Amino acid sequence: MIQSVGRAARILKALGSESARLGVTELAERLGLAKATVYGLLRTLEAHQLVEQDLETGKYRLGPALLQLGNSFLDNNELRARSLLWAETLAGRAREAVHVGVLYGPTVLLVHHVFRPDNSLQILQVGASIPWHACALGKAMVAYLAADAGAELLGGPLPRLTGRTQTSRDALEAELAAVVATGVAVEDQEAIVGEAGIAAALFDNRGAVVGAIGVAGPVERLLPGGPAAEIVAAVKEAARGLSRELGAGRPALPRAGA
Amino acid sequence: MDAACVRSWLGVVATRLEAERDFLTQLDAAIGDADHGINMHRGFTAVMARVGDIEEATPGQLLKAAGRTFVSTVGGAAGPLYGTAFLQAGEALGDAASFGPRLLLDALRASLEGVQRIGAASPGDKTMVDALSPALGAFELELRMGGSLETATSGAREAAAEGMRATIPLQARKGRASYLGPRSVGHQDPGATSTALMFAALEQAVLADRSHRFAAGARRRGSGA
Repeated sequence: MIQSVGRAARILKALGSESARLGVTELAERLGLAKATVYGLLRTLEAHQLVEQDLETGKYRLGPALLQLGNSFLDNNELRARSLLWAETLAGRAREAVHVGVLYGPTVLLVHHVFRPDNSLQILQVGASIPWHACALGKAMVAYLAADAGAELLGGPLPRLTGRTQTSRDALEAELAAVVATGVAVEDQEAIVGEAGIAAALFDNRGAVVGAIGVAGPVERLLPGGPAAEIVAAVKEAARGLSRELGAGRPALPRAGA
Repeated sequence: MDAACVRSWLGVVATRLEAERDFLTQLDAAIGDADHGINMHRGFTAVMARVGDIEEATPGQLLKAAGRTFVSTVGGAAGPLYGTAFLQAGEALGDAASFGPRLLLDALRASLEGVQRIGAASPGDKTMVDALSPALGAFELELRMGGSLETATSGAREAAAEGMRATIPLQARKGRASYLGPRSVGHQDPGATSTALMFAALEQAVLADRSHRFAAGARRRGSGA
């Protein structure tokens, strides 16, 4: 490990975790480093536009080069690029917001988010991470993981996000079996009170799960006494179409009853 | 406090929510879904229409009607959370025609329990619990130290506002804001803000009730003399 690169990374993370700007002294205190060391690192990061200094206060914040890096991270994500059209179509059919996510350790990282098409003010949730067991996207993906990978996630921490978050391993295992049987995963206010999700897994040409696409919205519209049939159908169709584009063959696609 | 005082409290909440609607929505736009002010205002407009239709009711019945109306008219997290808070408070008051600070404390405690059962939030998670929990604590402490309904509601209002402001540096651990991770830091929680508003309205209603009773007492004394 190269110490100075590690320190620079810690400076970036410290600046990224605060909405307030930080001065050299504050950063030095937080990271337990000498002020001169922090100053040197900041000057180097600034030269690469990874941080910038506020001219009035002398404090530092993240720089514009990071935005480009973040964007190219998202652009290089093939899944995101390919999902744009399918996600848009799904949002139009379901009249709800659409999320596309990938599994990143025990959390689902949202790589794409289409707003609910009703012109209401909504905030972009791309980059958000949600514990896998608390959302439909996570359950959709974990259901198709290899047995050992799935068992590892089931054995890991299962934090409670609402009163309805499923934290029992047995119940989650039963839910994952139901996902494989029905082809969709359902979430009933397990991550956010009042919000539900319906999602299906995405597969590549080897039949391996590479992500999930799903609808997220008010529980009364998504689960009116059970998952809304037309939304379930639209989610499945989008997942099938997108998987085919990602190279999954029709016969290789796990199907209900297959 | 009697049914008239509960009605006046709900009325003050509705008026204040109307005034603060855009501010609440603005707070929510930073870390939520930009609908908190709109939802709360819509919910309380419906609540006022509903309780206006009920002529004879105990305080408990009024709060339960408010809770049910809120759940059925407000979407998102606010509907179930505030709806449950009012329902539980109404349950705790039972059939009492009027209630003092002890019963109000029980009602507040039942509200907090209901909210925590649904939302699983603890103090420090950057939610309405960060205003509700300290308000309850201050209310109880004031009563233990021999305070009155007026001083207890005033203490609760102050603690709720303090709890609301204390959500600013917190990183959200519950609700949509938690999706933002560190980016939720530096923003005041909209739910804690609307909860603080309810305690400010409670104090206002309690003080107005006291001055009404004082004026009525003075009139009686005046007419008797």
